Amino acid sequence: MSSWKELKENPRLKKIHDDRIIILKSIREFFWSEGFVEAETPLALRFPGQEPYLSPVPVRLTDAGKNIYYFHLRTSPEFALKKLLGAGYKKIFEIGKCFRNNEDIHGTHSPEFTMIEWYRCPGSLEDIMTDTEKLFKKILKKLGKDSVEYNGKEIPARGKWKRVSMKKLFQKYLKADLDEYLEIEPLKKLAEKFGQTTSAADEYEDVFFKIFLNEIEPKLGIDKPIFVYDYPARMCSLSKLSVSDSRYAERFELYIGGLEVANAFGELLDPVEQERRLEADQALRQKLGRETWAVDQEFISVLASLKEKNAAGIALGLDRMVVLCTGAKDINEVIFSNISDQLAI
Amino acid sequence: MLSTADIRKGAVIHHNNDLYAVVDFQHVNPGKGAAFTRTRMKHLGSGKVIEITYKSGEAVDIVSVEFQTMRYLYKAGDNFAFMNNTTYEQIEMNGDLIGDDAKYLKEGIDVIIGIYEGIPVSIQLPKKITYKVVEAPPAVKGDSAGGNVTKEIVCDNGLHVQVPIFIKEGEEILVNTETGQYSARA
Repeated sequence: MSSWKELKENPRLKKIHDDRIIILKSIREFFWSEGFVEAETPLALRFPGQEPYLSPVPVRLTDAGKNIYYFHLRTSPEFALKKLLGAGYKKIFEIGKCFRNNEDIHGTHSPEFTMIEWYRCPGSLEDIMTDTEKLFKKILKKLGKDSVEYNGKEIPARGKWKRVSMKKLFQKYLKADLDEYLEIEPLKKLAEKFGQTTSAADEYEDVFFKIFLNEIEPKLGIDKPIFVYDYPARMCSLSKLSVSDSRYAERFELYIGGLEVANAFGELLDPVEQERRLEADQALRQKLGRETWAVDQEFISVLASLKEKNAAGIALGLDRMVVLCTGAKDINEVIFSNISDQLAI
Repeated sequence: MLSTADIRKGAVIHHNNDLYAVVDFQHVNPGKGAAFTRTRMKHLGSGKVIEITYKSGEAVDIVSVEFQTMRYLYKAGDNFAFMNNTTYEQIEMNGDLIGDDAKYLKEGIDVIIGIYEGIPVSIQLPKKITYKVVEAPPAVKGDSAGGNVTKEIVCDNGLHVQVPIFIKEGEEILVNTETGQYSARA
């Protein structure tokens, strides 16, 4: 956002900052009133996640004896929060900074950002959708609004938000039956039809998002926020399969004004399957020439204790939420003294 | 062949037998899976803007563009003239390729010009530019309760910007060229 000087001399940016304070307070009030407790988990992790395409920021810690320990800043509090579910907490939330390396610093992107995550155990994706909608509506009420704003366009937030399956979106925007595009070859043909490039190295998920990001996402949530659910099963490494149709997985995303705001999973609680997937991700990291580390065995062990339960959780970008609720022009306007400001780039 | 890591504003990409200059790009990580570089680019002939999503790390046919820091001199018809600060060589760039960024140009500012085969194809402005306010209506009293009341002023290069009502004629202000918004007093 903003340097102190901008906050002092720019009433528009000051108002955004004031609203951010109200939003943070409202989020805490909301979760406490719904029976959640606030968790605080480590920023510095010995064993970060294995997401093949995320780069955690390395940190070097030295003790008084000059021994050196290597950690990474978290890209999400997910593993730690699930460990708290294993400790017996049933409804938890955390608001905290996360970091991602090797990404843009300028413009609409910030390598340091704030994530809100919450988990319910027991819980379902429908519960999480309802939480999300109620949370936004509470915040907007506190700000005296009933709509959000993105890219200069107002998006009404009143009334029940839409919940639509990915299959229906394919039908609506691509005139295609997603059931016929659950394998990579037909999907590649569809991508090329829409002018996208594909290569032999592309995985199913890559081709899927090349189509989705261009042909569908920009049209989502323009007249009302929309939850998109049921993603093809092969794209969801931390979620469980849909009970009604195993070709799809329990995952949803919230889109408002074409912007992805949150990503939720019906959590995979099978330790054997989870370890297999994490090892596959780790192998892919190695293949991509990225830094690797061991799979967090404590995370695998906590799943064994949760195995018989149902859990659902979500990661929601607070900065994006603030942009939508304040009408700010971009992410960097809502983060005080952000990295781009500090570097003056 | 270069990859998505080499995509930057002003880079020129060979796509489907045509050349496009990158207007804007953004990394996106849908969910927690693969990462993509969503690229908005402008056709060098027609100026038509298209959006292509590359998988991060994917090979991209980026043609060799030389980036030079140049000083903006003046507008000449539909063209804009720039000068290389070290060689004093001057070039003219077509206004269609500069697009909406033209309104921020002000005599004497340094910009980065992408040059492909001797022809300027892209421009990158500084994130914030200082302007002098040359026309500002007086503040209307009793209007500041909302804390976000603005008025339109005119800068020394003709740019119109919404600013807080306390900004006066003759003051210098900073404008953010990414958002088009008033930033602070200079």
